[in-house]
Amino acid sequence: MNDLVIHLCLFGLISAVIVMMSAFFTETEDGAALKSFPRRLLHFLVGCGILTGLMLAVEATLASV
Amino acid sequence: MAILTKTPKSTRPAGEPTVAVLLTWFMPGAGHLYLGRTRFALVAFVVVQGIYLLGLKLSGGMGFEFLQEELRGAFAPALAPEAGNLGALLYHLKNYGYGMPYPREFPSTVALGSMLTAASGMFNVALMCHAHFAARLPRGESRGFGSPAFAVLLTWLVPGLGHLFQGRRLRAVLVFCMIVGLVTFGTILAEGLNLSRERHYYYWGGQFMAGLPALLPELFGGGKAVSSHIPYGEAGLVIASVAGLLNIQTMLDVYGFGERQEFGGGAAADESKAGASAQETGA
Repeated sequence: MNDLVIHLCLFGLISAVIVMMSAFFTETEDGAALKSFPRRLLHFLVGCGILTGLMLAVEATLASV
Repeated sequence: MAILTKTPKSTRPAGEPTVAVLLTWFMPGAGHLYLGRTRFALVAFVVVQGIYLLGLKLSGGMGFEFLQEELRGAFAPALAPEAGNLGALLYHLKNYGYGMPYPREFPSTVALGSMLTAASGMFNVALMCHAHFAARLPRGESRGFGSPAFAVLLTWLVPGLGHLFQGRRLRAVLVFCMIVGLVTFGTILAEGLNLSRERHYYYWGGQFMAGLPALLPELFGGGKAVSSHIPYGEAGLVIASVAGLLNIQTMLDVYGFGERQEFGGGAAADESKAGASAQETGA
């Protein structure tokens, strides 16, 4: 369990950097990029959550041995 | 009475940007030769190919022998940073390839040598940016260090430095903290496991894009033997590699900003057009 928490924290850290960089890439203005960061991060995390759910579902059904 | 007229300066672009980029990709300097910049082309060719040749010498041409047997496909080196200098990469593959069919000892300078061949690829990418920018400028004009290609090179060497060069201080600080911080954090987490091209060929390629913050620790303390289990070694490896890949995005940001400053376009141009049409409507 502790291991899972550490991995989630690492994922959270790297997600924040990925989202910040993509915000900088999309927005020319620094202010606009920083302002859009929370919304972008939420979208990214929710998207990753959905993908994880799908992968777990596939693992438990189609790919289960 | 004679009328003195001043010949207007040509505003025609120096050449086709795509052609200049592709020529440079195949042969450093060829794009500039096409654009009529012979002296620059010669210097660029000598420097970029010289770095690759020096790297080949130091590594004994064994750089691609880091790849494990099962990964040695025809296109496997295409994912290496050397792919930025296609002509030299093809020369390397043709003359050295994956080496002999029996194991050989790597020379003691193999790490530095393969770092130089990879750096030559990145220098040629900056040269391709320069050729693209120079092709869009009116014939006979140049911007010297004002070209966004220089900012791209600075961004590769130290993430954030290109933004600083362009006067975007806040972005420079944030980019530096995030990318250099991530590389450092990944390296600490992996206990230096990531600092070896021989051990992690493709992850190293990603991490290499973060420039000096990844390369200097490798030069001075990389390639250490692993003597015990590293609990988050693989996580650290991925984190350092992702940081390097994100720096590619910042290089694109820097180049795009530089081009927009010179030629307009994008959001800035749209805003100015909207402002002008609003003024016309008001009038």
